[in-house]
Amino acid sequence: MWRGLWTLAAQAARGPRRLCTRRSSGPPAPGSGATIFALSSGQGRCGIAVIRTSGSASGHALRILTAPRDLPPARHASLRLLRDPRSGEPLDRALVLWFPGPQSFTGEDCVEFHVHGGPAVVSGVLQALGSVPGLRPAEAGEFTRRAFANGKLNLTEVEGLADLIHAETEAQRRQALRQLDGELGHLCRGWAETLTKALAHVEAYIDFGEDDNLEEGVLEQGGSTCWWGRKTPRISPQRLPSLFLSACLLSPTADIEVRALEVALGAHLRDARRGQRLRSGAHVVVTGPPNAGKSSLVNLLSRKPVSIVSPEPGTTRDVLETPVDLAGFPVLLSDTAGLREGVGPVEQEGVRRAQERLEQADLILAMLDASDLASPSSCNFLATVVASVGTQSPSDSSQRLLLVLNKSDLLSPEGPGPGPDLPPHLLLSCLTGEGLDGLLEALRKELAAVCGDPSTDPPLLTRARHQHHLQGCLNALGHYKQSKDLALAAEALRVARGHLTRLTGGGGTEEILDIIFRDFCVGK
Amino acid sequence: MFYFRGCGRWVAASFTKLQFPLARLSSDSTAPRTPHFDVIVIGGGHAGTEAATAAARCGSRTLLLTHRVDTIGQMSCNPSFGGIGKGHLMREVDALDGLCSRICDQSGVHYKVLNRRKGPAVWGLRAQIDRKLYKQNMQKEILNTPLLTVQEGAVEDLILTEPEPEHTGKCRVSGVVLVDGSTVYAESVILTTGTFLRGIIVIGLETHPAGRLGDQPSIGLAQTLEKLGFVVGRLKTGTPPRIAKESINFSILNKHTPDNPSIPFSFTNETVWIKPEDQLPCYLTHTNPRVDEIVLKNLHLNSHVKETTRGPRYCPSIESKVLRFPNRLHQVWLEPEGMDSDLIYPQGLSMTLPAELQEKMITCIRGLEKAKVIQPDGVLLLLPRMECNGAISAHHNLPLPGYGVQYDYLDPRQITPSLETHLVQRLFFAGQINGTTGYEEAAAQGVIAGINASLRVSRKPPFVVSRTEGYIGVLIDDLTTLGTSEPYRMFTSRVEFRLSLRPDNADSRLTLRGYKDAGCVSQQRYERACWMKSSLEEGISVLKSIEFSSSKWKKLIPEASISTSRSLPVRALDVLKYEEVDMDSLAKAVPEPLKKYTKCRELAERLKIEATYESVLFHQLQEIKGVQQDEALQLPKDLDYLTIRDVSLSHEVREKLHFSRPQTIGAASRIPGVTPAAIINLLRFVKTTQRRQAAMNESSKTDQYLCDADRLREREL
Repeated sequence: MWRGLWTLAAQAARGPRRLCTRRSSGPPAPGSGATIFALSSGQGRCGIAVIRTSGSASGHALRILTAPRDLPPARHASLRLLRDPRSGEPLDRALVLWFPGPQSFTGEDCVEFHVHGGPAVVSGVLQALGSVPGLRPAEAGEFTRRAFANGKLNLTEVEGLADLIHAETEAQRRQALRQLDGELGHLCRGWAETLTKALAHVEAYIDFGEDDNLEEGVLEQGGSTCWWGRKTPRISPQRLPSLFLSACLLSPTADIEVRALEVALGAHLRDARRGQRLRSGAHVVVTGPPNAGKSSLVNLLSRKPVSIVSPEPGTTRDVLETPVDLAGFPVLLSDTAGLREGVGPVEQEGVRRAQERLEQADLILAMLDASDLASPSSCNFLATVVASVGTQSPSDSSQRLLLVLNKSDLLSPEGPGPGPDLPPHLLLSCLTGEGLDGLLEALRKELAAVCGDPSTDPPLLTRARHQHHLQGCLNALGHYKQSKDLALAAEALRVARGHLTRLTGGGGTEEILDIIFRDFCVGK
Repeated sequence: MFYFRGCGRWVAASFTKLQFPLARLSSDSTAPRTPHFDVIVIGGGHAGTEAATAAARCGSRTLLLTHRVDTIGQMSCNPSFGGIGKGHLMREVDALDGLCSRICDQSGVHYKVLNRRKGPAVWGLRAQIDRKLYKQNMQKEILNTPLLTVQEGAVEDLILTEPEPEHTGKCRVSGVVLVDGSTVYAESVILTTGTFLRGIIVIGLETHPAGRLGDQPSIGLAQTLEKLGFVVGRLKTGTPPRIAKESINFSILNKHTPDNPSIPFSFTNETVWIKPEDQLPCYLTHTNPRVDEIVLKNLHLNSHVKETTRGPRYCPSIESKVLRFPNRLHQVWLEPEGMDSDLIYPQGLSMTLPAELQEKMITCIRGLEKAKVIQPDGVLLLLPRMECNGAISAHHNLPLPGYGVQYDYLDPRQITPSLETHLVQRLFFAGQINGTTGYEEAAAQGVIAGINASLRVSRKPPFVVSRTEGYIGVLIDDLTTLGTSEPYRMFTSRVEFRLSLRPDNADSRLTLRGYKDAGCVSQQRYERACWMKSSLEEGISVLKSIEFSSSKWKKLIPEASISTSRSLPVRALDVLKYEEVDMDSLAKAVPEPLKKYTKCRELAERLKIEATYESVLFHQLQEIKGVQQDEALQLPKDLDYLTIRDVSLSHEVREKLHFSRPQTIGAASRIPGVTPAAIINLLRFVKTTQRRQAAMNESSKTDQYLCDADRLREREL
């Protein structure tokens, strides 16, 4: 844990910095042991607002506001009349909940006031709380910080919670909830345990191998004899069977476990970007030849006039970006200039930017004019953009593409389709809205693939931090396989394990020694 | 100044030829005939001898108090030194000019480096040692150490006085009271009493107090420590019975020969005292199901095994091995006890069964069918005289059955990284008293305690080895921050920076600091370490500067498996990383300028090791810097964790911090149960304090300027 201290400290420094500066400049703030209160539900008029307190004076505050009544039973909703302690004026009839620590969200004594959501009621109760000695308004995220400080949440859970608070869309909320449940932490802990065990076996072989004749089975390289897999010089061949008995190999050997872990990590990392997309929005880029109706589609999907639409080709010259909630997924929708050559320098720059944006896209909405498929620009677009994305093998392709044929209203109803040799496509009319439902459904499927569907998939790596550590872990496991020096091999495993424990926190040498002494009969 | 003959019984006649160093008499004090030393060391075991000589090397007039001079340097348990992790400690003790490595190079009978195939970072230097020779050589060394006085005597109590106000602690030690009532004053006192505190010997159902009746000084001392408020725990350990050499059938057992050539423990030695062909072999045999049977049938006769006192997991008795891992064969090493000893030490057979059953069990084992456990005629008559380090002193090598020892230890979280106690100023603890096991662990603490006791007298800052500098640092940091609930033994796996803290480079890590910061290193050793360090640095930069294409290297050193697919030039340092390449083959390929680096064998070998770890060491250095940043964040020594209000800490964390009193943020972060959040809060506190301090300094400086300016103006007026 202590190696990760600086990472941790850096993360913490972001939050409490405000506290520090205030402390050094202004009058001394009340100690961080003070009882804090805040409106925990959203601002504005609503049915019910929840006000929360945390800290040792919570019970006192509750009693003063509901005086002269005693504390309600713990964790039971009770109806109470709230009064202003100074004027004795009734404020509201409210549902109050009393959570004595440590069985509360923050680990401290907590009280929740469920009051009617009118702004006057809320501000009245907040003012009343503020008048109670020892109480002060909470700073942003302070409840969570206290929960973290009291060991109620681990680091990933805190991040999950932060995401939950900031979740703007349904899918984000679900993902955040899952991370809060500790699912990612759970997965990482499982991996870290595997690694700890593998490391313990390597360490046992280093520290006790020669004194105690643990055999090379501990490190079995899956049949291939590694260089240290030779007999230690103190053991003669005829003794081998008995020595195998002496070292009790209770579990699969280090190498097998490491290899399995490598596969699992690799699989997870391939999905890694999805979690990030879910947090920060997937990049969906609308592209196509000029005048295909790209801007119309962007306006349609974002339900507002983002782009200027005109029948003139080359109307959109720059990249226009707008955040959109598409089927529950956060999306950054980009309208781009139509792709064509031989135009003025301004539009040419627009085309260059469009192409640049195209490379960064997670999902490409390729748009063609259904009535103009035979034109050179359409053919060229099909041959270059659509074909190049299509030929990428589905597994390693990070980009996905939906081919949309616009202006279906211009096709004669009984006429032939747009052409048999086209790749799979959707028909749409931005003008009439026909085909929009089909497009949305297709988008939902694609986005689910791009972002991952939190309701069914394994927990995602919602932060670059997670990906960074998992990649670091995977790289270290690669070093483990290559190392000929056993001390170096063990170091690689230590580094790998360090990355995992930094994700969730915890884990030390004692843990390794515990496994060594549990699994092996060692002792000189 | 005159020869001090104040109290106690002076050293036996055999030592009269040795000149006793001068002892200072505190002429101005109220007790004019009371002797006064800089440092008193209580106990002459592995910690005590190192502590006493280290303090003396640092220039302190030192008194070593021991029960009996003729047991100084006694190896109370196994007849071996070193091993994996322990060999590292010995190298570090040697780097600080300690004794045990040099003595082992003069006293071994079977030298072998363990882990040869697992990489030089985890090589374990080890040797079977001749007990008699070791003791002789150690006593010669001790009695020849300038400034060091040796006196026989048992300590009954500590003399305590008012604390120095500038340090924490409720009182200060200023001397000791001996069992005869006499007193000796000193500036610092080091306790290295081993298993001496309320030690009990257990054989079968019999227990014997380890001090003779009427001669139980340990009780008084233990009571004083307890009264002072030290938290005391209890541990147990054991030792096997000894077997008559001529009663063993070696011809059917596996013979193991020593290394050729022998690798010495000490940096100052190029070779050991004995040729490989003259050294003694070891033999290996195994237990069998009949051994299990005897153990299991007689558990009711074995009180040591049943009791809850924590014994070592890694040096278990045969009884606990059978209980924890039944139906397995356990190995038994048959080790020589010395060149002319007729005893064999059966390592792995430590036991506390009643004496008659011990022989019955041993004769079930292959090769030991006719083995004679040499039984003393009446254990009780001879026994219970315990040495400081847990041995029953074997008069004239009189053989003994295996036995268990239970003893008090003091929770090491009560001492600072300089091994001074939090409670009593200038009182230091080293060795088994701190809950460790093993000669090497004791010796390592002894050196540090000796140095710091001496530095304390001369009011210099303490000498602390960090986790990033040595195994000694890891050992002491683990003890002082985590404490221990079982006898603590060194393992390489405890060490985060194992690749940097190797047996080969202990001198570069510690000798220079030992010379400059502690003054415990001789000029000669210091110069040698400096030469080696600069030669290594020069060698590495030369190896980095030589670059050829891989195909040229392949041509130059055909035996190396250099891949020629790389087009970039390859450095000589990278070529040296190949297993099959050493400095000799490199120097053959590129005689200029590499030839000169092969002249010193040690230098050539160390260059090879540096090359092996070069790429990883770079990353490790970054991490070490991170840790050192943590270590640089000092927590105020007088911080009252229980009441401080500026830091948000849970009650549990407060108590843990209060008990361990970590000196740095780094140490605090290693205390189990101290959460990352608590560390962050502490960190914030330290930063704020530092900033406030800096601001105050700044403002006082400003005041000074203003003052000066005023004065200037006045003068102008």
